[in-house]
Amino acid sequence: MQGIATLAFTLAGLLLVTFGLSRLSPVDPAVQILGDHASQSAYAEMRRTLGLNDPWPVQFERYVVRLAHGDLGVSLSTGERVSDELRRVFPATMELASLSLVLSTLVGLPLGILAAGRPRGVLDGVVRVVSLLGNSLPIYWLGLLALYVFYAHWHWVAGPGRLDDAYEYTIDMRSGSVLLDSWRSGVQGAFTNAVAHLILPVVLLAAYAVGNVTRLSRAALLNEGGKEYVMLARAKGAGEARVLLGHMLPNAAAVIVTVVALTYANLLEGAVLIETVFAWPGLGRYLTTALFAADTPAVLGGTLLIGVCFVLINGLTDVLVKLVDPRTR
Amino acid sequence: MLVVAQSLDDIVSLDPAEGFELSSLQALNNVYQRLVQPNADDSQDLMPTLASRWAPGPMPHSLVFELKADAVFASGHPVRPEDVIFSLRRAVKMNRAPVFILNELGWRADNIDASVTKVDAHRVEVTWPGNVGAAFALSILTAPVASILDATLVQAHETNGDSGNAWLKTHSAGSGPFKIRRYIAHEALVLDANPSSPGDAPLLSTLIIKNVADAASRRLLVEVGDADMARDLGPDQLAALEGKPDLKTVNYPSATIHYLMFNTANRDNPVLKNPKLWEAARWLIDYEGIAERLLKGEFTVHQAFLAAGFPGALDSTPYHLDIPKARAILAGAGLDQGVHITLSVFNQPPYGDIAQSLQSTFAQAGIQLDILPSLAGEVYSKVRERSEEAVWLYWVPDYFDANSTAGAFARNPDDGTKTLAWRAGWEIPELSRATTAAAQELDPAARQRDYLALQAAVQESSPYVIALQARATVVMRKVVHGYRQGLDAEMVYYDRAAK
Repeated sequence: MQGIATLAFTLAGLLLVTFGLSRLSPVDPAVQILGDHASQSAYAEMRRTLGLNDPWPVQFERYVVRLAHGDLGVSLSTGERVSDELRRVFPATMELASLSLVLSTLVGLPLGILAAGRPRGVLDGVVRVVSLLGNSLPIYWLGLLALYVFYAHWHWVAGPGRLDDAYEYTIDMRSGSVLLDSWRSGVQGAFTNAVAHLILPVVLLAAYAVGNVTRLSRAALLNEGGKEYVMLARAKGAGEARVLLGHMLPNAAAVIVTVVALTYANLLEGAVLIETVFAWPGLGRYLTTALFAADTPAVLGGTLLIGVCFVLINGLTDVLVKLVDPRTR
Repeated sequence: MLVVAQSLDDIVSLDPAEGFELSSLQALNNVYQRLVQPNADDSQDLMPTLASRWAPGPMPHSLVFELKADAVFASGHPVRPEDVIFSLRRAVKMNRAPVFILNELGWRADNIDASVTKVDAHRVEVTWPGNVGAAFALSILTAPVASILDATLVQAHETNGDSGNAWLKTHSAGSGPFKIRRYIAHEALVLDANPSSPGDAPLLSTLIIKNVADAASRRLLVEVGDADMARDLGPDQLAALEGKPDLKTVNYPSATIHYLMFNTANRDNPVLKNPKLWEAARWLIDYEGIAERLLKGEFTVHQAFLAAGFPGALDSTPYHLDIPKARAILAGAGLDQGVHITLSVFNQPPYGDIAQSLQSTFAQAGIQLDILPSLAGEVYSKVRERSEEAVWLYWVPDYFDANSTAGAFARNPDDGTKTLAWRAGWEIPELSRATTAAAQELDPAARQRDYLALQAAVQESSPYVIALQARATVVMRKVVHGYRQGLDAEMVYYDRAAK
């Protein structure tokens, strides 16, 4: 019950701020839609259609009432229902984010454990440098470089887009997940093509996320290192591996789960730059395009979706933390 | 199948009565046809397209069009006078972005019904209340907003009295060489050939226009061969592709002109309305440097408001960078010290580079330009409110007639019409009358002379410094042939393209 109240309160605040900011924008949505040369009567009519002449509390109320009926409105820049558009772009981002999260956890967690095992050792130094690099290299530049080397030069992977054109418009993208839909279509070669298109963006996003997972799981483990139960375990003659995996890891698990969950929430927000470089039709690019087009319903819809994701992931994290760490129950 | 990589993020609608963005216009030109259209190989030559011929009507401002006897839409429905009447009435009554082009003929929602009428089963009469000649009216009818739609098909998809607008945003009902198979906003536009299109059937079976927002990614796609054509590559990308054996770079002249405008309606900075500032500014732009070196061939130097290639364009370029001369002009007017001007520009390439070049050359004559980069929508909003000081803008003619541009740059009537001259706060009663007279002139030679004189007047003294004309560069695989592109924004022709 308390969770639902938090959810409602957070979302209401989010909506109010986003709506307020969109009203402060100096861009006139009517000009944005009709272009610069339309007639005065066309602008007036567009402003009336959009309800822009009403005071903004009225506009906000109208939006919230519609939202309560499950209506996110119609995108100003495409004329499509925002809910339909989100249903199309969100699975694309979710697929990218989920695969990247799995990869970054599979790589980042063992790296963090290894680094924490020998703090300030050679491996620790290498891991810290690599994770910092993954975090600080501009991902846009890295994306282009990777495309240039692995796609344009060596032809190891497929290029921008989710599928080659031969498959792209023949496969029914019902679920929105390119792996699932290409597999289900039964079209020969479609699934491997989807994988070939996914490799680069997934690896790059994971490289970005792996830095976070490694650094923070290392820090969480080191934080446990000086505690009495660790000294006791060592005094009882437990080996380093047993101390690290059997004693410290379960105690640091709550922090690690939280880190992984927050990383996922960040990835779900949509990696604007990766989606742009790889022509990936995801949520990040959708929101950015909507922002540039002063497309308020699309921006509000997208922001709301991200808000819901954050709140849900937070809720889920709480449950998971309670499961892995009895002290929090 | 031909794959084109470009940005499609601008598309608002693919309904010809509504779509007015660069990518929509280019698509509409290949999906719909008009009664008359410019020849794809020579934009100045008008060709009968859905009409087989036309003749002056019984009234002074009227034309009677005879429709091609065997013309059919992609749906198989014949092209009838009813379709012409439906399409033109619909476009005027919907009153969306491009309707102002049809308004030039005096057409409004309350008079359009009487202005387009059926003569018999093959002929339709078009009359217009505006005081303009038949040549001008024909130019207006070549614009995509005057596309002829399949009335039967559109009416079948009408919902809540929207004239089929919701359906037409993503579907097509035309007779052009292609028809829309699928449009996914911000992703792709897939067109299939329409073999029954009046004129020749297209050579391609499928045309895929992919939205690739990033120019560097577009370059890689065309380099590898996953795209056959790529548009809007920057100078860096073009340089990287130079000399690649499988690629060719083709430059098409474009009617887009770039200019600096001083807002003389801005009361906070009175220097902006001093004609001596306008004169000095003409000698303070490094035209050659920007066109040849800074932006490496994206532009040519052009100093008149009608783009080269338009009938009646003035091609003289009397101004060049001459700082001592500009200093002398400014000193003579007492403007040699402490002049500060804020220059608004779009916050995307190549405008930052252009603004910096201006900042450096203006500074040498003692004028401090403060550059204010903003979102395009924000810049336009400011210009419409006349709150900026100076702005660097570009102009694309809305239809293929000199009046589209002259009516903006050299006309500021006091009837509330907010033309570009109004936005510059430029009071020009005489020039406005001359511009209106030029639009009404019936003799083509006299009309061209009128426009030459108008351009010379604006070139000599006005709050605009017209500097550059853009070139559209398309990179394509060498195997692609037959693609054509004209001067105006919508003049993109895929019908003879093949590989």
